[in-house]
Amino acid sequence: MTEVWSEITSFLTNERLLSVIRALMLFIIGIAIAKLVSSTLVKIIQSKVDNHRAMLLRRGSYYLILLLFLISALKELGFDLSVLLGAAGIFTVAIGFASQTSASNLISGLFLVAERPFSVGDVIRVGTTTGEVLSIDLLSVKLRTFDNLFVRLPNESLIKTEVTTLTRFPIRRADVLVGVAYKEDLKIVRRILNEVAEKNPLCLEEPKPVYIFQGFGDSSLNIQFSVWAKRENFLDLKNSIHEEIKNAFDVNGIEIPFPHRTLYTGSVTEPFPISQVKAGTQKT
Amino acid sequence: MKTSQQVTPWWGTFNFDHTHSKIWQIGPLTMIVRCLYDEWLISYERREVFEDSDISITDTDVLPETLAELSRYVFRKTTGILNITPLLADRSVVSRPLTPFNLTAGEEVTLYVGSPLWLELTAGSNRKKLGEICIQRPSDTWFGTSTREGELCYATTSRCRINLHDTPERIHRAITPVTICNNADTTLSVERLILPSPMLSIFKSSDGLLWTSSVKLIREKDGDMAALKVTHKPPAEADNAVVLSKPRIATEKGILIRAFNAVFS
Repeated sequence: MTEVWSEITSFLTNERLLSVIRALMLFIIGIAIAKLVSSTLVKIIQSKVDNHRAMLLRRGSYYLILLLFLISALKELGFDLSVLLGAAGIFTVAIGFASQTSASNLISGLFLVAERPFSVGDVIRVGTTTGEVLSIDLLSVKLRTFDNLFVRLPNESLIKTEVTTLTRFPIRRADVLVGVAYKEDLKIVRRILNEVAEKNPLCLEEPKPVYIFQGFGDSSLNIQFSVWAKRENFLDLKNSIHEEIKNAFDVNGIEIPFPHRTLYTGSVTEPFPISQVKAGTQKT
Repeated sequence: MKTSQQVTPWWGTFNFDHTHSKIWQIGPLTMIVRCLYDEWLISYERREVFEDSDISITDTDVLPETLAELSRYVFRKTTGILNITPLLADRSVVSRPLTPFNLTAGEEVTLYVGSPLWLELTAGSNRKKLGEICIQRPSDTWFGTSTREGELCYATTSRCRINLHDTPERIHRAITPVTICNNADTTLSVERLILPSPMLSIFKSSDGLLWTSSVKLIREKDGDMAALKVTHKPPAEADNAVVLSKPRIATEKGILIRAFNAVFS
């Protein structure tokens, strides 16, 4: 029993164990200080910078402080850092070949951070994916789509493809494509469209709505009517203006035609033969 | 000008018996307020066809639920006191003259602009805010040099006029006298002008009409900059005016120096 007890005591007083405890404590204190410093820094600077920069500052300061404490902890354990760094150099070459994609994403991430085409909180469209940017990390950008899905986009693909930031400017334009029958007077159609835009409070008075005659379509005269809205009201305007145009056309007797086709018999002059059938004489 | 007998004030403090309702008709706005023992029911809707002179406040049996927009505000116990205060827009308001005009160098002109009004509804003697309702929702508009830079504003449907007698007297609008001084050497073309509505107070004149603080827009000598001055006193045109509501944004000096393009367009 006494032997076991002396074993435990000698183990506890062992210099190696003490250095492990000291290193562990250094690491834990490092985590606490890094968290404290990074969150304090963000609180101080939050009102002056956007979410993205605040997030970068928090992460940067956190990992820098943690790294310093980790180095101290490793020293405490007796590691020779110069040897470690030398070994890391050799490993880096090997790892570099093995992780080309990650390295490419990493470098693309640095470019994205420097170029800042969008920030955290912006809504972006990449290919067919549209969503709110949750974070811009070194390897990927995380999005939340409007149907509440989490999408991870590798930074490399963002650098290569077209990215549209929908929330960059305060106002947006909604393009309404509408066709009217060939018999309609385009001046009247134009007046009605302008009146609809004027009555809709979400439609900006300036910049003025744009009326563009798109051409003679198969079944209709094609018109593009573009109206501007405050970014946040874009969808509301898009929904309401279509409804109001339809109602205004109905009230004013403007026809929105269905696609129709004129059949031609092949002979230049002769029409289709038509025979009139009296009511009640139709055979079943 | 209308006499004080002709103008019914739709603002002020109103007392309700529990389970009773009142209906307001102010220009295009119809609003029903019902006081229950533990909640206020407020509903409203706007008509497209209306007379500017439509103004009435009466007791009603019509249920608030019959109007399009309904809000409920729940309390432990309601006091039956409702305060209505007129407020100006929370954004700047852009107005146009009937036709654009030119102001030659060194000249000065005063225009009268009718601004849209909001109703601020508060309950009890401690004025707990229930909400704000716009009498006639103005259109949004953009005031700036490009679609990237500028300010989101409201556009008034009424035109600013040079002669006060030509300005329609509307009980649901407040008139702002705007003086434009062209101190530059070149002619100033006025197509649109911006009113800093959140910085203006509302006054009631002795004839019951509503006025705002007067505004002075000065085009500086170099022509690139413009000063926007707000007078905190009631305008000279409003006789025996009393303050009804303070500005949404309090400014001590009441002077803003902006780029020329941010004031005139």
